[in-house]
Amino acid sequence: MAVKSFRGGAHPPERKDRTSGLPIEYLRGAKSVVIPVNQHFGAPLQPLVKVGDQVKRGQKIADADGRMTVPVHASVAGVVKKIEPRTQSNNVDGPCIVVEADGSDGVDFLAPLDGFACTKDEALARIREAGIVGMGGAGFPAHVKLAPSKPIALVIANGAECEPYLTIDERVMIERPGDLVEGVALTMKIVGAPKGVIAVEENKAHAVAGLEKAVAEKGRGFDIEVQLLKTKYPQGGEKMLISAVTGKEVPSGGLPMDVGCVVQNIGTLVAMVEAFREGKPLIERGLTISGAACASPKNVVVPIGTLVSDLVAEGKVEVTEAELGRVIFGGPMMGTAVPHYAIPVQKNTSGVLLVSKKEAEHYVEHSCIRCGRCMRACSCRLSPALLNQALVAGDWEDAEKIGLLDCVECGTCSYVCPARIQLVQRFRVGKQLLRAKKQKEAQNACK
Amino acid sequence: MPANNLLLSSSPHAFAPATTRKIMLAVIIALLPATGYGIYLYGLPALILVIATVAASVASELLFRAAIKAPRSVGDLSAIVTGLLLALILPPSTPIWMAVLGAVFSIVVAKEFFGGLGANPFNPALIGRAFLLMSFPAAITTWHKPLQGIVDAATTATPLNLVKQGASLADVAAQVGAGDVGGLYWQLFLGNRSGSIGESSILLVSIGGLFLLGLGVIQWIVPVAVLGTTALFSWALGMDPLFSLLSGGVVFGAFFMATDYSTSPLTPLGKAIYGAGIGLLIALIRKLGGFPEGVTYAILVMNMLSPFLDKLRVKKYGYVAPKKPAKTAAPAKEAAK
Repeated sequence: MAVKSFRGGAHPPERKDRTSGLPIEYLRGAKSVVIPVNQHFGAPLQPLVKVGDQVKRGQKIADADGRMTVPVHASVAGVVKKIEPRTQSNNVDGPCIVVEADGSDGVDFLAPLDGFACTKDEALARIREAGIVGMGGAGFPAHVKLAPSKPIALVIANGAECEPYLTIDERVMIERPGDLVEGVALTMKIVGAPKGVIAVEENKAHAVAGLEKAVAEKGRGFDIEVQLLKTKYPQGGEKMLISAVTGKEVPSGGLPMDVGCVVQNIGTLVAMVEAFREGKPLIERGLTISGAACASPKNVVVPIGTLVSDLVAEGKVEVTEAELGRVIFGGPMMGTAVPHYAIPVQKNTSGVLLVSKKEAEHYVEHSCIRCGRCMRACSCRLSPALLNQALVAGDWEDAEKIGLLDCVECGTCSYVCPARIQLVQRFRVGKQLLRAKKQKEAQNACK
Repeated sequence: MPANNLLLSSSPHAFAPATTRKIMLAVIIALLPATGYGIYLYGLPALILVIATVAASVASELLFRAAIKAPRSVGDLSAIVTGLLLALILPPSTPIWMAVLGAVFSIVVAKEFFGGLGANPFNPALIGRAFLLMSFPAAITTWHKPLQGIVDAATTATPLNLVKQGASLADVAAQVGAGDVGGLYWQLFLGNRSGSIGESSILLVSIGGLFLLGLGVIQWIVPVAVLGTTALFSWALGMDPLFSLLSGGVVFGAFFMATDYSTSPLTPLGKAIYGAGIGLLIALIRKLGGFPEGVTYAILVMNMLSPFLDKLRVKKYGYVAPKKPAKTAAPAKEAAK
């Protein structure tokens, strides 16, 4: 098999060996959960329950009208104790529904549905009702992604898992290849794609044999191929993955469907299969808990809303407090550092890293020496050093011309910078400011 | 809540091992073979010159930044690199006070006046040399035969000087005691000839350059463009291309001066044009200019173009060409008819 990849990128130390050999542990016995009402990219939801209500596992507890909405479900059976703002994994306080488990095992799943026999609309409705969003980080509503306005030629299962430390996708590929392949087939059926590819980075090559076997056994005759990719960050980014697999580039400002592709996260594919086969909404997810200050690194499946602090208190995760320097939701390259760990696992939490003080070393920004490392590493070929120069100088026109709005915020530029310049950090803020500026100009133009 | 004192910062939370300091250290290491050979050729005076320029560079950076109350920056080792580079492109007989003056000019005027590391438009070491060459032309163009000590009896002309004065390569070979032209090439490659302290051994300079290339500290485009075009344009102007590469400071300049981060373009196409421009200017200055050697000025002139060459960016991912306004203009014309 020819090993493919994209242009640019970097190869940070993988640090996956801590958890890559550990089977997924199912920790379903949460005593209470804190379920954020808004866990998707789109319009906000309204809670459907009030304090004191009894809820069943899988019961819908928040929803709203509108296309860009995805409902949220109770992940344990119990009583709604509070509805209040809590810190979420993006470091912002948002409304959360606190459910305390009462030991009952009331279940309120949807009716099973054969995704290969039902209509496309039925399938999309099921995916929405099951609360499925992209579980790789962005939390984009899956039913919107799977209803593209352009023909789709290729479905790509994103098995790149290019972030250091994270191994949950790898474990799913090894432990549940059949469900994963069925998810790819289901996606192909829904979007009408003739071809599917499961793209796997070389550091997970040992999963390929199992996947190919599963394709033969569970592929239902769909044309699905396993493709090896050279291990490189940020290959799991949609745009980079599409380039790596197809050689095409998503046009600036466009979407994967513009080049006939749909990219799905591994966890999302498996969650979709469960939503049809068992009628089970997205109420639990797998994630990797690791980091040098974590004495018990592991891959787990926990109910959505499980507080990391509860896992620690119950002894399921051991923290070396003296060494702890940073707590990160997600991977070290794109994840969010949080101020404490009484924060719930959300639909898009692929990992929780308890990083040691040594790993979390804080650097001071030095002056740019124009070494060009960021220029070569930028997977979007955006000339980060020049973009930084433009932003520091307040030259918005130049910044936009260089491609500020095309930045995928993968952070490779900041990672490779020997002067530790906060490149991606500045681009992130710059993107927001530029968008706001353009919006204001458009409003003024209307007046 | 347990966890206190947690670091909060925007991602990424991991960093590559390379730092400015490590990069500068790599450059210093890469320069050591050539430095050692220069000291072997010219003895103690060369060693003292190297120490003096490095010390003067570090001291002037330290003092200047203290005077303007800027954060101390000598820890990045870039002042040591500048001082070392300056020493290596000076004649071994340069008076110490003169070399120190050059180092101070390099650091204070060429580097710190413009904002320090990374902000200087011109290569500081080359500015230092150009400053000395203009101020003290006789001293900076006095050369000594290697391995004979810095004594008046040992002054000589460099191979490039000889050619400038009209000598053929065979004459030069005879002058340096190399026998035939083939022997001259070989002797120039190994470095046993008069010239600046660090430039003469093409072998050792190249080893340093390849070391930096191997580490990824410098990229191949600029050195290849400089060397390739120097040979090409020298040949086109009727000079011996191999002799052009082996004599003077072309190889040293290609690996250590033209690749200077601050003063060379960032983009691949920019780098290629920049390198090619340096090669062209070297050949033109050597053929038509008043000096026998032109590497210093060739690089300084191209330094000026770097900010403009930076505009030659690679196409970004998913680039879509903007719609040409001509399309909207065309129907308007028709309407006018």
